[in-house]
Amino acid sequence: MPLKKTNIVSAAQTKFGALEGVTLREMFSEAVDKATIHAGIPKKDIQAAFIGSFIPEMLVHQGHTAPLLLDFAGLKGLPATRHEAACASGATALRAAVMAIESGIYDTVLVAGVEKMTSVSTSGATEALAAAADDQFESSIGLTFPGVFGIAAVAHMQKYGTTEEDMARVAVKAHKNASTNPLAQFQKEITLEKAMTPRYIAWPLKLFDCSPISDGAAALVLTSNEKAKQYTDLPVKITGTGQASASMNLCDRTDLTSFSASVEASKSAYSMAGLEAKDMDFAVVHDCFTIAEIIASEDIGFFEPGEGAKAVRDGVTAIDGDKPINPMGGLKAVGHPVGATGVKQAVVAYRELIGDAGPNQVPKHDTGVVHNFGGTGATCVVTVMRRGDA
Amino acid sequence: MSEKPTVEKYLMNIQEGMFKAYKCVDCGMVIAPPSGTCYGCGSSNMEWTKVSGNGKLVSFTVIHIAPDEFAEEAPYYVAIVELEEGTRVSSRLLGFDPLKPEEVNLGISVRLDYEDGKSGKKYLAFKPA
Repeated sequence: MPLKKTNIVSAAQTKFGALEGVTLREMFSEAVDKATIHAGIPKKDIQAAFIGSFIPEMLVHQGHTAPLLLDFAGLKGLPATRHEAACASGATALRAAVMAIESGIYDTVLVAGVEKMTSVSTSGATEALAAAADDQFESSIGLTFPGVFGIAAVAHMQKYGTTEEDMARVAVKAHKNASTNPLAQFQKEITLEKAMTPRYIAWPLKLFDCSPISDGAAALVLTSNEKAKQYTDLPVKITGTGQASASMNLCDRTDLTSFSASVEASKSAYSMAGLEAKDMDFAVVHDCFTIAEIIASEDIGFFEPGEGAKAVRDGVTAIDGDKPINPMGGLKAVGHPVGATGVKQAVVAYRELIGDAGPNQVPKHDTGVVHNFGGTGATCVVTVMRRGDA
Repeated sequence: MSEKPTVEKYLMNIQEGMFKAYKCVDCGMVIAPPSGTCYGCGSSNMEWTKVSGNGKLVSFTVIHIAPDEFAEEAPYYVAIVELEEGTRVSSRLLGFDPLKPEEVNLGISVRLDYEDGKSGKKYLAFKPA
């Protein structure tokens, strides 16, 4: 049965990038203000907060972040919990908020995600990110995150004939879409030749196959059917949510060309919404690396296994294609402040669905799907959304 | 080999160049890296087992940008290897030029080995058989 009660009534993000001089709490507060008072939603209406943040302990030496962030954002006293699932932290916070609304415990809640990553050196950020992999069995031999996706890319290339150029095309598309997104970290188009620059990070992945290290925050206000009309004439309904996990260790997976948690979470979300992949007008997927977008496009059922690269080559996933993917520029070009990403993806889907995406607007925008996964794909959350009047 | 296997001992065995896997006492499934519960039958009754050391290469990457601890070793191969006994492990891959990864073919037979890292640690490794 589709979810019945949960509406998104506002959504916002800060600019993503190296936000020098802006602290964790300031970014959080900016996103919250944009999603509440600037959207005509008084903060006093918010009854609880669900916050995604991956690893502020290592990045800014701060634990117990939920109350700290609320203090600064003028939401002191509310029930608030931080949700952590590596890069899927944001979507796990969203899912918990959806369950809270559906249960009837709250009418109106805040979902927010935040990460401050540029306050440490690149190697410090790399070390913090590595904590999302199995420290004893995989990180300990020198496997990195780009390495994990390099292994997946090699398997996908071998089984399906996907090429380095196919992956580079994902980067070109991401940068093209982000070039008209003022909140993106990179707002410059790149050529295929530039995307193919052989600066290897983890062969066959090159610099332009990888999402950057970023700061940023994003926020949503969710409310029940009864309250939604107070805030907007055009709410977005969350009709399906799915979550699954898989082994942390890549070596424990039987198939390296697909992420089983993505497949299972998608099935759950579509089934709950009473819809199928073919009913989705567009997708926002977790493109932490270019190969991750290709695999995700197959795992969420947009294309058959092995057909994801062809879809990119043929322009099917472009803004004006039949199945647009990451129309605002994805993690790859907009940036990837880890805990903010899952919430930011929902912000993108909301803006596309209500027709507020400007030059990045997809032509068909009744229903969309959001795919957010964490670490080596060990957690995945998939959310199906539909415009209220669709 | 009646000693109950532990993660600490598993890692120590690799440091000593004496890799051993877990084996489910109830169904015989060979498991590495360690799991507290058998993937086959759900039992948590484990013992140590030696492995043949033969495997095949499932996939790999070459790490060029490494964490500080491994930076001096880069570029280096990290591979997924399926052991003859059926379980898969992550390891280093030896015997190939890290700057010529296109010469490495998936599915080739590989043999258990170890690599002494500049980090002072010994890594589980495989080389062409």
